[in-house]
Amino acid sequence: MLKNVLLTLVALVVAIGGGAASVWYTLQAQKGVGAITIGAWTAFPDIGTSDADPYSKARVSREGVLALGRAEGLAFVAERDSAGEPLKRECAYTIDGNFPIARFWTLYAADQSLDVIKTEKPRPAALQSYQILRKPDNTALISVGNHPLPGNWLYIQGSGALYFVLTFYDTPIASSTGLSDITLPQIVRTGCHA
Amino acid sequence: MRKLIYAVLLGLVGAGIVHIAVLLMVPEFSERDAWSRLAQASDLYKVTRLDAEAGGPPVVKSVDPLFFAAACRFDLAEGMVQIKSPDAVPFWSVSIYDRSGHNIYSFNDHSATNGPLDAVALTPAQMLEVRKQLPEDLEGSVFVETPIDEGIIVVRSFVPDESWKPTVSRFLDQSSCTLREF
Repeated sequence: MLKNVLLTLVALVVAIGGGAASVWYTLQAQKGVGAITIGAWTAFPDIGTSDADPYSKARVSREGVLALGRAEGLAFVAERDSAGEPLKRECAYTIDGNFPIARFWTLYAADQSLDVIKTEKPRPAALQSYQILRKPDNTALISVGNHPLPGNWLYIQGSGALYFVLTFYDTPIASSTGLSDITLPQIVRTGCHA
Repeated sequence: MRKLIYAVLLGLVGAGIVHIAVLLMVPEFSERDAWSRLAQASDLYKVTRLDAEAGGPPVVKSVDPLFFAAACRFDLAEGMVQIKSPDAVPFWSVSIYDRSGHNIYSFNDHSATNGPLDAVALTPAQMLEVRKQLPEDLEGSVFVETPIDEGIIVVRSFVPDESWKPTVSRFLDQSSCTLREF
């Protein structure tokens, strides 16, 4: 009798605990259904629309996000460099390459919750395309680190996980047809001072 | 032993069912969604800044640090809603969300008649009424027909650098979100 009660309890704990934990885990993970990955960058073009999958819908309402609309822009997030290593705030990186067509774009360094890194200095950990110096072939090289660097410099500091968020505004790539053949810049680690 | 394995297997099947049930219930029962957070911060038809610049922690996470944003909640069952701002800024965009935070429609300053922000959200039935006799002050407005009742309008505006902050703040603070009857 007691054995049966115990077995029922085991089944219930596995069901409720496992079910709830797996939902929490999938909502916590940055990767998800409906993601489009281009190189090191990931975007969720459907997030916040009524076409979104149940996971995106749950994430939207749980985090209280108001996602960008198609006519506004599309955000890409990178959590690893192009070699597959996780991004770290104590390392220096270069972001190099071609940026797709958009009216303008912004790039910022973020922490785990995708809030911009606080630099405690007047210079924010964010850049936008109007202030970028370009190479003759229209590509741009952005140096990321906590020491001033020539050219385009994205200031980061502190330690821990690092995310890059690259958002294109008023861009034709936000309509899903153009997403397959665009290229995004490479993220290369240039050194660490651990 | 066999019974234990059976119980765990049963539990795993149950976990799958619970997973789906919880997932589908999260949007229904969330008290942390954008609408609920805005409702705690301000009333219907009141423009609320979403960025931290206005003081205090942001009500709803405004994602981009180079953007300022403001939102107002509306209920089309009471009448159509007009959002308007007199100023000009380098870039603005407007999104309309339904009650559960899904983006229904978005447009930016390239869609506007002359540049200034002036938009009206209304239901298809209200649109029919407005078409019969267009009020003079709505002639330059962008009309957005949506089949929803409650919703959120969000205005986002680009802050290219520090010097633009006062201008963009003024643009958002002076924008009005008004219930229009006709």
